[in-house]
Amino acid sequence: MIARVYGGYVADDPTGMFDVTLDLHRVRGVRGHIRPQCELRCDGVLELEPFPLDTPLPLLEWGTNYAIAKRLFCYLMLHSAVIERGGRAIVMPALPGSGKSTLTAAMTLRGYRLLSDEFGVVRLQDARLLPMLRPVALKNESIDVIQRFEPTAVIGPRFPKTQKGTVAHLAPLAAHVDERHEPANPALVVFPRFDRSVDLELEPVSKSRAFARLAVNSFNYHALGPESFEALGQLVEESSCWQLRYSDLDGAIKALGDLLDQSRPAHDGSRLTLAA
Amino acid sequence: MSAVSPSSLPRPPESVRPLLAALADPASTVAHDELLWDRIIPLARTARLLGVLAHGVYEHVERSALPDRVQRHLDAGLIEARFRRQKTLFLLHTITRSLTGHPGPWVLLKGAAYIAQDLPLSRGRLPTDVDVMVPRASLDGIEQSLKNAGWEFEKNDPYDLHYYRAWSHELPPMIAAGQAMELDLHHTILPPVGRIKPDTPRLFADAVPVDGTPFHVLCPQDQLLHAVVHLVHDSDFIGRLRDLLDIDMLFRAIPLFDGAARWSLVERARHHHMEKPLHLAATLSLGWFGTPGCDDLIAETATARSALYGPRIARMASRVLPPINAREGSTSFVARLLEARSHWLRMPPGLLAYHSTAKGIRTLAKSLSREERPAER
Repeated sequence: MIARVYGGYVADDPTGMFDVTLDLHRVRGVRGHIRPQCELRCDGVLELEPFPLDTPLPLLEWGTNYAIAKRLFCYLMLHSAVIERGGRAIVMPALPGSGKSTLTAAMTLRGYRLLSDEFGVVRLQDARLLPMLRPVALKNESIDVIQRFEPTAVIGPRFPKTQKGTVAHLAPLAAHVDERHEPANPALVVFPRFDRSVDLELEPVSKSRAFARLAVNSFNYHALGPESFEALGQLVEESSCWQLRYSDLDGAIKALGDLLDQSRPAHDGSRLTLAA
Repeated sequence: MSAVSPSSLPRPPESVRPLLAALADPASTVAHDELLWDRIIPLARTARLLGVLAHGVYEHVERSALPDRVQRHLDAGLIEARFRRQKTLFLLHTITRSLTGHPGPWVLLKGAAYIAQDLPLSRGRLPTDVDVMVPRASLDGIEQSLKNAGWEFEKNDPYDLHYYRAWSHELPPMIAAGQAMELDLHHTILPPVGRIKPDTPRLFADAVPVDGTPFHVLCPQDQLLHAVVHLVHDSDFIGRLRDLLDIDMLFRAIPLFDGAARWSLVERARHHHMEKPLHLAATLSLGWFGTPGCDDLIAETATARSALYGPRIARMASRVLPPINAREGSTSFVARLLEARSHWLRMPPGLLAYHSTAKGIRTLAKSLSREERPAER
């Protein structure tokens, strides 16, 4: 199961320094017979409530996100997907019901490199985006949408009845796994929203507003002090910021591709002034 | 001279020694490979010592000499410590308005006190709460002023509130919007129903002002004795390694190897009826950190030995002091015994029986009424 959704990853040498060591196993004891559960230890510590025994992968994926958000405090962690083409990244912050994961999955199946579906990892020194490559968690109807969109997509088993409904994981492509240590430059910030009532709508978002929305939606912006202010400022300054409403995946992908082509990389590298 | 033979000293378990060595001699980590770091960093994080470790290492080792994957975790520790330090100072700044008008002194305890004084043991700390002790007569007024300013009790269970008010040395933890830290308001340093009754008026009378702030801190000896009773009298030792490290550093600051300073510390301990806890703390600190002067202190407090603060307790405590991911073998039986000991020390038997029964019934009732919890995400 894990081998399938982790796609091109190969089991590495298990010695060295790890960001977190996870241990997933069945809960033992009397209770385990009445209501079987699985639990996850992060570095040997039980930090999360157990899940039902039949949803081990959702626990592993959710638990890994949790552990990483708690540990990698040295980066600015945005709650957003990041994809990239030609070294230029699109940051898509996650808002509930935004359809972010669906759009991200679709774009990675159309030539964009996936950096992360959950964490926009921003290096504080230079505001570059670092990959945190993991399977994309697809929920409910998105699973079929993506499978129809790209029949060759490798999607893991479906887990019904989780708190978010049915969850299945899209395996990252082998090529993206090979490039999992390559950072990308910020180019676009896009706030997507799936909306059946419109075909396609793109509206510019002011940089100050984009800054505020990214900061509020971050896991640790508040804890990083002036460094996160500077880094997020630089990211927004170097990006063109948009609100996207869409109902058709192909149309949205084309629109974002055009935007990426039109927006010019920032050459002067000057620091942000929060006007606009 | 020494009352302790080395073989009877409590020793830290093997698994936690690489972390202790890195804390004691950060310069030695320059030669560590990733494998060894992987045995240190997760334990430091669980013990909430990652910031302390990071401060020590970066003071003695060139950053570029460390593996990248190690740097980022140490950086995380530094950043979180800076954040928590700032939030502590912010909280103190904010509550000053609520305290004004209520007779003091307002005495900072533990982490907040170390941070306000900028002591070496404040570097890299990751406090989650701020402890302030105020005179009993000011307590109700201050509680009301804080509530008016938006502070509220985190727990609202009537029994818990009653427990704190009737039998505890502090109010229940308070929280407020915009504050990352909890606020614990004390009127003394140990439960008034417990077996040790410190001289609270003396704690206040000898408190010293902190320059540039409206706050006081306990005098150095009382700061140490508070750290001591907090760990060896009022806790069950489980996962409390960092509290023992505090004691080691406070012993060194006295300094314990100075006979006169040590003697006056013992006098002070006697005055507060804390000689037995001091004896046990010295035993643990010597066994775990080799703190200079602890052997003499152990000898000078030897008459205060008793089963509840003796070498057997020190050895039991040493098994559960490490963070949960560094404990060796099954420690649950020892842990239960130490929990029982701490309850015994905290309350007279009649009250303990009443409290345990009330708590047990409430826990049972809660578990019976608990709803099925669906899986998250």
